[in-house]
Amino acid sequence: MAPAQRCPLCRQTFFCGRGHVYSRKHQRQLKEALERLLPQVEAARKAIRAAQVERYVPEHERCCWCLCCGCEVREHLSHGNLTVLYGGLLEHLASPEHKKATNKFWWENKAEVQMKEKFLVTPQDYARFKKSMVKGLDSYEEKEDKVIKEPQAVPDPEEGSSAPRSWKGMNSQVASSLQQPSNLDLPPAPELDWMETGPSLTFIGHQDIPGVGNIHSGATPPWMIQDEEYIAGNQEIGPSYEEFLKEKEKQKLKKLPPDRVGANFDHSSRTSAGWLPSFGRVWNNGRRWQSRHQFKTEAAAMKKQSHTEKS
Amino acid sequence: MSFLLPKLTSKKEVDQAIKSTAEKVLVLRFGRDEDPVCLQLDDILSKTSSDLSKMAAIHLVDVDQTAVYTQYFDISYIPSTVFFFNGQHMKVDYGSPDHTKFVGSFKTKQDFIDLIEVIYRGAMRGKLIVQSPIDPKNIPKYDLLYQDI
Repeated sequence: MAPAQRCPLCRQTFFCGRGHVYSRKHQRQLKEALERLLPQVEAARKAIRAAQVERYVPEHERCCWCLCCGCEVREHLSHGNLTVLYGGLLEHLASPEHKKATNKFWWENKAEVQMKEKFLVTPQDYARFKKSMVKGLDSYEEKEDKVIKEPQAVPDPEEGSSAPRSWKGMNSQVASSLQQPSNLDLPPAPELDWMETGPSLTFIGHQDIPGVGNIHSGATPPWMIQDEEYIAGNQEIGPSYEEFLKEKEKQKLKKLPPDRVGANFDHSSRTSAGWLPSFGRVWNNGRRWQSRHQFKTEAAAMKKQSHTEKS
Repeated sequence: MSFLLPKLTSKKEVDQAIKSTAEKVLVLRFGRDEDPVCLQLDDILSKTSSDLSKMAAIHLVDVDQTAVYTQYFDISYIPSTVFFFNGQHMKVDYGSPDHTKFVGSFKTKQDFIDLIEVIYRGAMRGKLIVQSPIDPKNIPKYDLLYQDI
């Protein structure tokens, strides 16, 4: 029995020794992995010929996983505001470490030898890519400049050509209209028209009184004028001294315990002549209001008795 | 001596005193000015009134002029002293049969001062009935009669 070995591709431990690599499962996994990696590499290869330069977008931060080296590689190269598409990937694919790792990967996993070449980028290809990258950068700059200059250029020819044309049109129109009023006395007639058209409004008289000013002359508004009655008072703002003392008393009251006897007794309430305070009478056992009640009934009874006695 | 303390001569005035005294013990002495025991009590009241000015307000009521209250408070012996706080009647247990009022005069000024202090503290804590601090020996004895039985 072979010792336990882990296959990183299948992500499994197996005991077949070197035989695992030739198994169906492993080959299937290998094929799938290479199929996943191939499109990326092909796209990068296309970029060798025609390097594309784009404005930087956060999506360009994406990384690609290199199966052979077992590391993440930046797909696009970005510097400042610009990105070169597939620049990072190409750089990695051309590097010697990747070549070594790819060779190792192919030998260990017993992959198809023809496929290997597809995943490698020769240094010459990389040099070609660099050249096209430079070209791409230049063309991008030109494009940017053109785009910046365009809006400025566009209105200038427009102004130059269309503005005088429109002016001329206007002048001719005004000239034609001015000719007519001299014949037909247009200025006063339209004024009269405007005043009389529509339902007629009630006229309440001219509101100009010679002595008093109005809003147009900048006089003081009526609500700012002091009333005559008010002139007699001392015209002080804020509470008077007595109110201030009362406030001080109230503050002191707040400091007293809230559950003291008669805390909610209204000292200033008006009571009738027959008011009696809450008093628990001597021979009473129950609640205090009962004694008051009892006293009132007794008083009424005594009054009636004295009434009957008198009469 | 009694001319130093404010006098109340009608029910209306008594009502006014009860309603208007705020956050202080109201002491109402019911009696007659000429009565000897009343004079004794009035002397004590007037001498202590300035010391107790922040805790108590003392008034003298003539029983002959306020018949309603004489009946309502069941005043059969004079002098009788009734205590109020914020319009509420305060009962005190002196060891005597009647808790609603203090009948007779105090032996010393200190007794009266102690009693007022106990009533004030009890009222501040929300108690409607308090225990008298006066020595029972100094409390005047009387027989409480129920309708002259």
